[in-house]
Amino acid sequence: MKRRDFIRGATAVALPLSLSGYSARAMGLSPMLESLAELTAQADRYLVLIQLAGGNDGINTVIPLDQMSTYNSLRSNIALPENKVLKLTNATGLHSSMVGMKSLYDAGNLAVVQGVTYPTSNFSHFRSTDIWMSGSDFNEYLSTGWAGRYLDSQFPGYPAGYPNATMPDPLAIQISSSSSLALKGANAPMGVNLQDPEAFYRLVSGTSVNGFTTAPDTAAGKQIAYIRQVQAQSEVYAKVIQKANASAKNLASYTPAGVNPLADQLAIVARLIAGGLKTRVYMVTLGGFDTHAQQVVATDRTLGSHATLLARLSEGMTSFQQDLKLMKIDDKVIGMTFSEFGRRVGSNASSGTDHGSAAPVFVFGKAVKGGVVGANPSLTNLDNGNLKMQYDFRQIYASLLKQWFGTNNSEYAAVLGKDFTTLPLIQGSTSVAEEEQTFATNGIRIQNYPNPVSTSTTFQYTLPYTSRVRLSVVDAQGHIVTTMDEQQAAGAYSINFDTGALASGAYTYRLETERGWASGKMVVAR
Amino acid sequence: MALLDKYPATLTAKAAEHLLRRTMFGAARADITALTDKSIDAALDTLLKDQIAPAPPIDPTTGQTWMNDTARTANDGAYNNYMKAWWLGLMATSPISISEKMALFWHNHFASSWSVVNDTRYMYKQNVLLRKNALGNFKTLTREISIDPAMLRYLNGNQNRVGSPQENFARELQELFTIGKGPEISAGNYTNYTEDDVRAAAKVLTGWTDTQTTVTSGFTLNRHDTSDKQFSSAYQNKIIKGRNTASAGMDELNDLLDMIFSQTATSEYICRKLYRFFVNFDVTPTIEQQVIVPLGKTLRDNNFEIKPVLRQLLGSTHFFDNNIIGAVIKTPLDLIIGMVRQMQITLPNTTNQLAFYYSYFDQLRNLAASLQQDIFELPNVAGWSVYYQEPLFYQIWINSATMPPRANLGNTLINGWTLTNRATGATMRVTFDSLVFLQQFPNPEDPNKVIDNFTQNFFAIDLTSEQKDELLSTVLLPNLPAYEWTVEWNDFMKTPNDAQKRALIKSKLDALVKYMMLIAEYQIT
Repeated sequence: MKRRDFIRGATAVALPLSLSGYSARAMGLSPMLESLAELTAQADRYLVLIQLAGGNDGINTVIPLDQMSTYNSLRSNIALPENKVLKLTNATGLHSSMVGMKSLYDAGNLAVVQGVTYPTSNFSHFRSTDIWMSGSDFNEYLSTGWAGRYLDSQFPGYPAGYPNATMPDPLAIQISSSSSLALKGANAPMGVNLQDPEAFYRLVSGTSVNGFTTAPDTAAGKQIAYIRQVQAQSEVYAKVIQKANASAKNLASYTPAGVNPLADQLAIVARLIAGGLKTRVYMVTLGGFDTHAQQVVATDRTLGSHATLLARLSEGMTSFQQDLKLMKIDDKVIGMTFSEFGRRVGSNASSGTDHGSAAPVFVFGKAVKGGVVGANPSLTNLDNGNLKMQYDFRQIYASLLKQWFGTNNSEYAAVLGKDFTTLPLIQGSTSVAEEEQTFATNGIRIQNYPNPVSTSTTFQYTLPYTSRVRLSVVDAQGHIVTTMDEQQAAGAYSINFDTGALASGAYTYRLETERGWASGKMVVAR
Repeated sequence: MALLDKYPATLTAKAAEHLLRRTMFGAARADITALTDKSIDAALDTLLKDQIAPAPPIDPTTGQTWMNDTARTANDGAYNNYMKAWWLGLMATSPISISEKMALFWHNHFASSWSVVNDTRYMYKQNVLLRKNALGNFKTLTREISIDPAMLRYLNGNQNRVGSPQENFARELQELFTIGKGPEISAGNYTNYTEDDVRAAAKVLTGWTDTQTTVTSGFTLNRHDTSDKQFSSAYQNKIIKGRNTASAGMDELNDLLDMIFSQTATSEYICRKLYRFFVNFDVTPTIEQQVIVPLGKTLRDNNFEIKPVLRQLLGSTHFFDNNIIGAVIKTPLDLIIGMVRQMQITLPNTTNQLAFYYSYFDQLRNLAASLQQDIFELPNVAGWSVYYQEPLFYQIWINSATMPPRANLGNTLINGWTLTNRATGATMRVTFDSLVFLQQFPNPEDPNKVIDNFTQNFFAIDLTSEQKDELLSTVLLPNLPAYEWTVEWNDFMKTPNDAQKRALIKSKLDALVKYMMLIAEYQIT
């Protein structure tokens, strides 16, 4: 079975609602279950995805205060002065321009997840963006997005039969002219179809967009104006969006419109949520992070293009959070940032940074479990000059799907193609160790010997079928320590694993195939 | 400077494109190149050249045409779709020529529909007639259409006989086909003709019938009204002498058309219709005086030959006026056939892939029909209302039902269709390859050139620099600096056979094409 079919097939059987492990659908439509189903469908939980397009320089965003001498030598032309860094912990700080986000952190409303990427980095913007959007492996090509698949599982059959009484609103809204892969479902984009983005934008922002508002004063211009008008009217969701937008006012002060594009977009999102849209997922974008040159001002490295971008991110996020609070909807909304990759550890000669790999992800909101998740990435233990992966980005997706949207392991595994260890990102989520849950193991067993381990061990398993196989070792904090990922024929396997580089402690190892997974625990003791 | 003064310059690429967009379906890049830097005369020589008649439609399941059958068969519904695909195929594959657009003009003017005529052999024969006279003589065509078997059926001319006149054709001949209805100045008096003239003309036209075995028409004297026909003062109280010979039907028809065509209103009426079809809907008093009236004179001076009128109109400074470019909303056929032409979609061939070829155009026919333009199936005798219905005119094409599929057309054509040969079960996929399309232009590694080349080729009017920036920075390269395109492109060119890298680049281009077709400007021509 191909990976893509695997994901599709799994999505098709994923049950939209679970009640104590039973599917509401499978149990039939008793009135009690119907009303419960409705309640769940209207669950007031919204997710805002903030794309930092271009590849954000994570090392100058979240600064490893415990490695300042290495940091200063590898980034001599762009390094921030240590005394300007906004300290989160003794070891970790934020860029000096992220004052607002520092206060969010202090209030416990910001989680910083360190070292996020995927195994085998791709340095193409196009490809790496697609990987993040689709939630694929580095060598897997998916035509649907991770959020799109989630929405597909919640609103089966979309767009047929939508909008309807239960879901009168768009499933997702992207404030952008082009719709992204992340929101693409199996049948259609799950995001609102912007037939005429400029009209849509005008509709909800009340402002003009570059050059689009005025059609030329010619016969052609009159036709264009007419066509735009019909386009706006034929947008099936235009009325509900307009109504929601009109019924709410921003209560916090944002940067004046036109200065900070992210703040402008987030102000719209806040109004739409406060205005009562049941839209689950919003996506906004801040571009310009491709800082190959002059990312700092030479005379004051706390300034420059990267500082401006981070200030916009920080101010936008902070105003948005304040707005939600004043609107009394801050317990319903969380957000996360992501970028297609981080940047090279060493800066280049142009006072910039080139394409890299791992970078921090921010998760914010009142419901978020604040703190720093994971250790500072090592600036010396590198892969070809790039940071090593600490967390797979899909662990964050899995965590939010599970802890925020309430999907169980098999449901989010279906969305993401496989199971991932979750991280404690939302309050009430208990520990880094995932809850072991039945996920059809199809007869796969894995064991290791010796156990406890000193310097090496051997994993043994038998594969009843040909499959892509991934074998990962995960530490007690949920970091993936190492991963093997390859196509294997049916048969018995013995894989030797060198534990010399691992710290003493308990580890989990997991074997994932296209049909299931199995796991075991081992202890490294020296 | 008068509006009909000849366009003085050689054609720029943009002017050539405008001329092609209006006289054909879309403007293919090779066609633009062929006319660029030509004089307007040379370009019109090419466009107005008579074309040889195409071979008839073929039933792809038998490889034979059914047009010589001696009876309609139960298969006529399927044949109808083959016939439609046949014509759409001609539109899509035509050399540089106005002929297919003129055939469509006449099809709209002398409207009819298969569902009324109920026989593809009739509809085809009428199409052959329209095609033969498309660039010929308006009066000759009107004479032949008056006794065309399909028209005799469509407007009941074949039921018009002495003692029981059927006025349908006699009315439409005057109201819609020739002189046109003027203001109703008194009961039954439409300025250019009266109700009495309708009755008189109906008598002139008695006696014609069609024969379905041969799909021909004939005159039967004993069905003919041999009395003299008195016309009103609108026609200078003309009397058409009743005849009682075998040639009475044709002789009196000739008298009737001589009478109608001698009226200035007739030549101006058809020129107004040509103007609304090819130039703009808005016939202002200035356009009436400076364009329609002189064109009508040209038509009369040339004994109703169409070419001199088209030459004068399409070669005028007015036709190339900035205010005219983009003033027309694309018909569904402009949109769909135009896309096939300008995207240079590789079509199945007609020699050994005819079933696929017809199947592809059958998909396009469906699409056009859903957008309210179905050839061989005019909505009524007045033709598509966009050419006459005030005040909206072309805007009638655009409504909340047609707009979403119109805007989604790029998606539809890029995804293409898997075509099936029903007889063999074989399948074939026809899609648009944006990457191949890009590679015909120089400097595909330069993202600004990518945007320029695509927009120049796809839009009738220039997009603003802000719009192009938007296409570059949020569609082709979402929030990335422009040089990243060059980086990605060059990386792809190192291993151009890498299917995954190819797919990645193509997906960006596809997104660009799809988005461009969402822009309102794409709907005008």
